Amino acid sequence: MITEITLSGVLPAVFAGMAGEEPMCNSQVWLHDVRLQRGRRYIIHAESGTGKSSLCSFIYGNRRDYSGTILFDGIDIRTLGINGWCDVRRSAIALLPQEMRLFPELTVMENIELKNSLTGFRSSDEIHRMLAELEIENKADTPAGLLSIGQQQRVALVRTLCQPFDFVLLDEPVSHLDVRNNAIAAEMVQREADKQGAAIIATSVGNHLSLTDYTSIKL
Amino acid sequence: MNRHGKTSAGIVRRLLRRNVSAVQIIGYAFASLVGLTIVLTAIQFYLDASGVFTSRDAGALQRDYLVVSKQIGLTDRTTGFTDEEIADLAAQPWVNATGAFTASRFKAAIGVDFAGRGMSTETFFESIPDQFFDQLPTDWYFDTSLGEAGDVPIVLSRDYLALYNFGFASTRGLPTLRESEISKIPLTVAIRGYDGHTVRMRGHVAGFSSRINTIAVPEDFMAWANARFGTPGGDTAPSRLVLEVNTPGDPAIAQYMRRHSLDIAGDKMDNGTAAYFLRVVTGVVIAVGAVISLLSFFILMLSIFLLLQKNRGKLQRLMLLGYSPDDVARPYITLILTVNATVLVLSCAVAWGASAMWSDALRTIGAEPASPATAFATGFIVMGAVSAINIVSVRRRMRKDFR
Repeated sequence: MITEITLSGVLPAVFAGMAGEEPMCNSQVWLHDVRLQRGRRYIIHAESGTGKSSLCSFIYGNRRDYSGTILFDGIDIRTLGINGWCDVRRSAIALLPQEMRLFPELTVMENIELKNSLTGFRSSDEIHRMLAELEIENKADTPAGLLSIGQQQRVALVRTLCQPFDFVLLDEPVSHLDVRNNAIAAEMVQREADKQGAAIIATSVGNHLSLTDYTSIKL
Repeated sequence: MNRHGKTSAGIVRRLLRRNVSAVQIIGYAFASLVGLTIVLTAIQFYLDASGVFTSRDAGALQRDYLVVSKQIGLTDRTTGFTDEEIADLAAQPWVNATGAFTASRFKAAIGVDFAGRGMSTETFFESIPDQFFDQLPTDWYFDTSLGEAGDVPIVLSRDYLALYNFGFASTRGLPTLRESEISKIPLTVAIRGYDGHTVRMRGHVAGFSSRINTIAVPEDFMAWANARFGTPGGDTAPSRLVLEVNTPGDPAIAQYMRRHSLDIAGDKMDNGTAAYFLRVVTGVVIAVGAVISLLSFFILMLSIFLLLQKNRGKLQRLMLLGYSPDDVARPYITLILTVNATVLVLSCAVAWGASAMWSDALRTIGAEPASPATAFATGFIVMGAVSAINIVSVRRRMRKDFR
């Protein structure tokens, strides 16, 4: 279990030497000490190109092009090996990437099963209920590549929630959803996170996830 | 593995196999099959055909015995080998061991009582170290403490028996003899010393040899008899040597013999040359098969890396979902093992089938086909090694691509 993620003086390599310039000088994350705690909700908002997706990738371990340190409960994540990262991704941190990374040739159910069968976290009925809640259950057997971006976003959200987690990282999760669907998605994420006592970290460039009671951080 | 493991493996397999090129895999399988089949069939043929060149007592092809003597010219007075000459021979790389023939330095005759008719013939004896006998008779010893009362075991060349049975006995109305019968006939060995003193000893034929073309007695007897009856100060240089060689047919042997004017008894060198030729030809065929196998191995590696390259995005996406490099490597490893196992089984089957085709022909010329175990084991080792390298490479590649 991870109870706290600490960012200490983190700066993406691409922004090196730009400490005094926009957007670095106004950022509450880059080059600062930030503590993200289990059980809390965070919205990280910023303009395009300021490094939201980079931040998610750094925390998720699939990019290392940054300076400074990121700690999981005091442990530098650069010291985690392949097996360590596999464990983190199966049981501690769930990620909904901005580009969703669905397999277009697989059906909605197969895309979700790909994750769920790895964790064994949800029953088939639960998954169908979640799809129904997001109003895409009728697409269960449709190849993901044939869905609209908004529908794909909802499929990717269900897939993200098919694992136990301490932190769920949502990179612009509702950028293609209307207000109503945003509210449904937010309700589902909060419910699932609360059940596990987990933290929600959602990024946004404007249309942010309709969380209640969250901490706002400017990137 | 969790309760959904099987489903997950199924989806992953379907996802990753989508870009597998059947043509490439079949191309590899075919090339690999051809290469490995050539190697295994050549090995099987070599092992089967080796029997043809191996007389029943010469042992394996790798070891053979040559009896050498000096060529005799009109003016040569002595035909014995000097110590230097023996040492020089022993130093040759193709010689494992040398043994000298010790000749008797006394006159001898062997007599037999044949159906009431006494028969006796002048003879000679030679002895060689025991290790050079093809089959050492069980009673191959002479008890020197018994002296003249002792029994002299004799080993005859099989050629002599053939000479008697097919040349002598048939024209003189004498019975032909089998090896087992001859051993039961009591012989009289008459020895006349240099001083004219004659003793009569008991003797018997203890066995026959295909390797040693002489009338052989144990070394103990020869030493005792030469000391007792032999001409004092007589020539003791051996006139014939028996050599154990490790590469019969090696051209170096023939060259050495020519250079030193030595003769080799019998057709051993012909057999040896044929065996050597067989080895060279088999070596060439195995090398061709090995090259084809090696190329097919590269085809497989290339196809798999091409496939991994094509699927790189998918693989990385799976690893971002929490799949380990080993999880995503598994479908490729299963594919490699399936193809390689199929190739191995087919290659072994073809090599075995080919062996069955020529085994009858080999049996008619007296060679018993070898067991296919060596060829199968070779195939297993080759394919095991190829698969291991494939698997390690794929795993390493996956770990490298882990993000």
